[in-house]
Amino acid sequence: MIPVLIPVLTTDRLTLRAPRIEDFAAYAGFRASPRTVTVGGPFNEREAFQQLCAILGHWHLRGFGRWMIADRDTDAPMGIVGLYYPEGWPEPELAWSVFDGAEGKGIAYEAALAARAHAYDALHMPPLASLVDPSNARSVALARRMGCTPEGTYDHPDHGTLHIWRHSKEERPS
Amino acid sequence: MSEMIHTRRLILRRPAPCDWEAARAFSMSERSAGLGGPHTLGKSWRTFASELGHWEIFGYGMWAVTLRGEDTAIGLVGPWTPPDWPETEIGWMILADDLEGTGIATEAAKAAITHAWDVLKWDTIVNYIAPGNTRSIRLAEKLGAVLDPDAPQPKPDEHTLVYRHTKPEAEA
Repeated sequence: MIPVLIPVLTTDRLTLRAPRIEDFAAYAGFRASPRTVTVGGPFNEREAFQQLCAILGHWHLRGFGRWMIADRDTDAPMGIVGLYYPEGWPEPELAWSVFDGAEGKGIAYEAALAARAHAYDALHMPPLASLVDPSNARSVALARRMGCTPEGTYDHPDHGTLHIWRHSKEERPS
Repeated sequence: MSEMIHTRRLILRRPAPCDWEAARAFSMSERSAGLGGPHTLGKSWRTFASELGHWEIFGYGMWAVTLRGEDTAIGLVGPWTPPDWPETEIGWMILADDLEGTGIATEAAKAAITHAWDVLKWDTIVNYIAPGNTRSIRLAEKLGAVLDPDAPQPKPDEHTLVYRHTKPEAEA
């Protein structure tokens, strides 16, 4: 079997690359934090390990997926961004999260723009959705900054009611 | 690294997206009770994705077990190695429900264990089994593993039975 080639994207400050086991401590720390409450967390290390592996397996099952956001200079892991489409999701979602310490620097914005451009340019996807918990003010602000418009709600079986933010294909910040 | 093992009756290969249906049917049924199931569709999918991803991360992982001449996965058996676990584990999920008494699970697990000693060069092999999972306990004992009550526990929040395998003497 030929391993899935996970493309590497680069931006001014970031590398978007396949997650590696060296990222596990940072990833598990984030998954164990209260910030994952809106997606069923906090998660213990056992769950976080399975989730990290599942990020890789998602690429095999769908042909696309999520990247580790890494510092372009140091390669330090800073968050997760990309297309998320597990069973039970209404459509492929542009999803993002940044780890503690990487917030408030426009990291998620820069990474999400690159992931969105890849979805449109390389995968030719239709206008993407992002599912955001309305209590997650930072994500709501990022959806707005990316030019998304609200488009109703989705009742997720596990995560409750999420707001759908629709990305435009036209609005492409340079 | 090798991505296939042949035994008398079986082929163990790297799991692939085509194994999803077999994994889903198992995970959403009562047969996954020993692993915390039955699970929802979403949880089942994410668990299966993690089996595929483990290979991507480590270059090894749980093998899809197939009968020679067929390509349907009837089991998953092999390494599962979270970095925070105290020892390297060989785990298994028997996906098909009609293997009882055939020795297939034993044959598959033996092959995965031999591969872990000889190819992965592991120093220890354990099976982590939930108390009460009698089918898994039977299989571990059939494979010659012995309950090690003093072994370090992998899960801080729940007691796990640790069955330990003995490394064969190195052959000259």
